Amino acid sequence: MALIPTGALRPRFNWQPVVTGVVVLLVAFLVILPLVFLVEESLNTGDPMAFPPEQYGIANYVAIFDEDINVLFNTLIIAVMATIMAILIGFTLAWILTRTNVPGREKLERLMELPYYMTPLVGALAWAVIAGPKSGFVNQLWKASGGTGNLVDIYGYFGIAWVMALFEGTVAFVMIAASMKSMDPALEESARVMGASKFRTMLTVTLPLVMPGVLGATLFVFAEMLGSFAAALVIGIPARIYVITTAIWDSTLSYPPDYGRASAMGLSLFVVMFGMLTFYRWRINKGSFATISGKAFRPRPMDMGKLSWLLLGLCCLYIFVSVVLPIAALLFTSLQRFATVILSQSEFTLANYRTALSLGPVRIALVNSLSLGFGVASVGVVLMAVLVWIIYRSRMVGRGAVEYLVMFPQAVPRLVFGLALLWAWLNIPIPIYGTLWLLAIAYLTVMLPLGVRTIAGVVLQIDKSLEECARVCGAGWLYQMRTVTMPLLKPGLLAAWLLIFMACVRELGTSVLLMGPNAKVIAPSIVNAFASSGTELTAAMALIQTATVVVALIILFRLSRGATRELQ
Amino acid sequence: MSTTRIEISDLVIRYGEATAVNGVSFTVGQGEHLTLLGPSGCGKTTTLRAIAGLEQPASGSITIDGRAMFDGAKRINVPTEDRGVSMVFQSYAVWPHMTVFDNVAYGLRVRKQDKGEIKANVERALDLVQMRHLADRGASKLSGGQQQRVALARAVAFSPTVVLFDEPLSNLDAKLRAEMRVELRELQRRLGITAVYVTHDQEEALAISDRVVVMNVGVIEQIGTPEEIYNRPKSHFVADFVGSANIIKGKLTGPGTFATEGGVPLRVTAPHAPSGAETEVALRTAYIGVAANPGDNQVAGTVHQRLFHGDFVQYIVDTPLGRLIVRRPPTNLLAEGAQVTLSFAPEHCVLLQV
Repeated sequence: MALIPTGALRPRFNWQPVVTGVVVLLVAFLVILPLVFLVEESLNTGDPMAFPPEQYGIANYVAIFDEDINVLFNTLIIAVMATIMAILIGFTLAWILTRTNVPGREKLERLMELPYYMTPLVGALAWAVIAGPKSGFVNQLWKASGGTGNLVDIYGYFGIAWVMALFEGTVAFVMIAASMKSMDPALEESARVMGASKFRTMLTVTLPLVMPGVLGATLFVFAEMLGSFAAALVIGIPARIYVITTAIWDSTLSYPPDYGRASAMGLSLFVVMFGMLTFYRWRINKGSFATISGKAFRPRPMDMGKLSWLLLGLCCLYIFVSVVLPIAALLFTSLQRFATVILSQSEFTLANYRTALSLGPVRIALVNSLSLGFGVASVGVVLMAVLVWIIYRSRMVGRGAVEYLVMFPQAVPRLVFGLALLWAWLNIPIPIYGTLWLLAIAYLTVMLPLGVRTIAGVVLQIDKSLEECARVCGAGWLYQMRTVTMPLLKPGLLAAWLLIFMACVRELGTSVLLMGPNAKVIAPSIVNAFASSGTELTAAMALIQTATVVVALIILFRLSRGATRELQ
Repeated sequence: MSTTRIEISDLVIRYGEATAVNGVSFTVGQGEHLTLLGPSGCGKTTTLRAIAGLEQPASGSITIDGRAMFDGAKRINVPTEDRGVSMVFQSYAVWPHMTVFDNVAYGLRVRKQDKGEIKANVERALDLVQMRHLADRGASKLSGGQQQRVALARAVAFSPTVVLFDEPLSNLDAKLRAEMRVELRELQRRLGITAVYVTHDQEEALAISDRVVVMNVGVIEQIGTPEEIYNRPKSHFVADFVGSANIIKGKLTGPGTFATEGGVPLRVTAPHAPSGAETEVALRTAYIGVAANPGDNQVAGTVHQRLFHGDFVQYIVDTPLGRLIVRRPPTNLLAEGAQVTLSFAPEHCVLLQV
C-alpha cells in the first residue's frame, strides 16, 4: 500500500533571479564605476580638478616617460631585486618543508604563514628601527663597540627590496610548495627504480616538473612587487627613492593635486600588473604539465641526516628575521622613552601606550578601523556567499563574467583603486567623500577577491547533490540556502569574516588616499606618526594594530582546527 | 502495465556543443521499476536528472502524471522543487550538519506537516530501512551503508509516488550491494513506488527491474524486460554490454539460415523482420552445451584455455566458428586440450540488427 500524502507543496515565489540581479548589479557598480572615472581622468589634459574634463589627450602618459623615467627605473630595479630574494626564500623553504625530513615539518609549515599576517607596513617600521642609520639598533651596537659610521643603512634600494622580499617570501613559499606537493611521488620513484641516482632524479624529473610552478610564482610575485606600497612609503620616502606607487601618492599631495598624472601612472601600473597576472593564470590553466593536478600528495621526504638540523636552522632564521626580530624591536622601542639598545641608558615606560590610547586622533582611528572591520566583514560575507553561489553553483548565463568581475580588484593595486574611488566620489553628487562610508565601500570592493576565494574553497568541497537533494525534497531556493547551503558553509563564512576583518584593520593602500580628517583609520595614522612624531609612539601604535590582528588570527586557527575535527 | 506515470518523448539534452541525450523516448507505468542501463557517458544519469528538473533539456517533453514538467515547444519548465518527485543520489547526499531524524524529516517540513505527523512519518520511514534506533545520531557519524539507508528513508518519507535512483548502490561494497538490491526491490514493491533507476551494472539492472532501457551514446538501444534484453538482444552493443555473448560473423543465407565467415551453416532466430544485410549473430556463453544434442547447431572444438571462476568455469574453445567463450557450471571439468562437441539451440542464436 502506498503512503498517503499528508502535506502538499504550495506555489512559492522564486527569489533566485531577484537576489542574483541585485547582487550582480551591486558588484558591477562597485568594481567598474571607479575605473571608468580613472580612465577618464587619466586622459584629462586641462584643469586636473575639472569634471568632466575640458580637454582630452595623452599628455599625462607622455609625461611619465619625460619626467618620471627615474621612477620607472627605481620601480623596476627594486621589484627585480625583491623578486629574486623572495623566490630564493620561497624556493628554499618550500624544498626544505616538502622534500626533506627536517624535524617538526608540520609545525614549521604553519609558522611560515606568520610573516603574511605581520604586514609589510609593520615590518618596514621595525626594520627602520633595527637598521636605520645612527639611531638604528644595529648601528648603536656598532658604535658602542668602537665602530665608526654606519654598519648598515636600510634607507636604500636594497633596504626597500629586503623588506618587500621578506614579507612576500611567504607567498612565494606557499605557491612553490603547492606545486611541489601536487607532484605524484611515483614519478620520482619510477626514475629511481630505473636506476637513476638521487641527484640524477632531481635533475631529470623533479626540477623540470617543478619549474612551471616556480616560474608562475616568480611572475606573480614580480607583479605584486610592482604594485607594493608600504615598504616604499616607510623606507623609500626618507631615502628620496620614489617608486611608481609612492610617486602616485606624492602627486595627489601636491597643490593643486595632479590627479591626471596620478591616474595615468596608476592605470599604466594596472595594465602591466593585469597583463602579467592574466598571463600567469593562462599558464596555470593551460596545465601543460598534467602531473600538477589538484590532488595533493605527501611526497616521501629525503633523509638529510645531520644536515636536517641546518635546514631547520634556515627555517627558524626566516621566522626570526621576518617575525620575531621585528616584533621584539618594536616592543623594545615602544617600552622606552628614547629608543636605545644600550641598556644602561634605557628608561622603560608604558607612556607610549598610554599616549597612543589616550591621544584623541589615534584612539578614534583605532575605533574606526575596528568598526569598519566589523561592518565590512559582516556585510561582505553575506554578499560574497551569494556571489560564490551564483558563480559556482547556479546555471546563470554569464556567471563566468561575474567571476571575472569579482576577481578584478585583485589585479588593481590597492593605491590605484583608492585613487579611482577618490576621483569617482569627488564627482558623484553623493556626499560620502571624506567619510567612513567611502572607506567601507572601498574595503568591500577590494576585499571581494579574498572573501570570494575563501568561501569558494569551501563551496567547492560541498557535494552539489546535497543542495540538489533539498530541491528534490521540495525546498525552494531561499529555503535550500537557509537550511542546507549556509549551515554547510558556516566554517568558510567564519574564516572569510575573520580574514576580511584582519585585512580591514591592516588596510593601507586604499585608506591612505580616502581617509578624511574626520574619518581616520589606523594604518595611515601609523605612517603619519612615523613621519611626524617619534618612533617610540609609532612602535606602540603598530603593536596595538598587530595585537588586534593576532587575536583575530588565534580565533581563526581555533575555528579551523575545530572545523577540521568536525568533518572527520 | 497499468496506467502511465511518466512519459518522456524526444528528449534532447546538450552541454554546450556536446549532445548528451539525443532523442530519447520511453514511458514508465504505475508501480513499475524501470532501469536506465548503459556505460558511463551514455546519457542515463542526464536523462534521470532531467526528469528531476536538475538538467534543462534543449527540446522534447517530460510529463509526470499527465502534467507537463518540461516541454521545449511550449516553453514549460517546472522547477525541481515543484515537481513532487523524489530522488536518491549516488553520493547519498545525506546532510552532515543534521541528525538522521532531521534528514528524513526535511521533505515533510517543507510540506509544512505538523509535528506529530512528521514524527510518525519519519519513524515509519526509518522503520522501513531498520534505522529507527539511530534517529538521533549525527549524519556525519554514519557508515556508508547506513547513509544509504537514511537517503532511502528520506526519499520515501514524504510519500512521493515517483522516486528516482541515481546509481544508489555503486558506492557500496559487493556484499552489501547484493543485500541492498534485495531490500530495494522489496521496498519498491511494498510501497507501490514508481521507480526510475540508473545503473551501469548490468547484473543489477537485470535483477531488480521490471523493464530495462539500454542506452548508448545518448540514444536508446533497446527497451524490454530483463529476459527480453538477455535472450533477444537487438544490437551488437546490447549483446556485448548486457551479459556475456559470443558474436559470430557471417551472412544470412535464407529464412533462419546463416553462414559464418568460415562457411559453417547455422540455424538462427531473428526477433525482427530481417533486412538481409545482417552480418552478426549473438550467442550467450551460458547457452552453449558441451554434449552432442541432435536438433541443435553443433560444432566440434578444442579447449584452448580454462579459467576457474568458482560459480562457473569459463572455457575458450577453438572451433570452425572461431574462438567461442563457453561458461559451464563447475562440475565435470574439461581439461585444456580436450576435444568437445559444442551444441546450442537455434533460438539462442540471435540475429543482430545492423
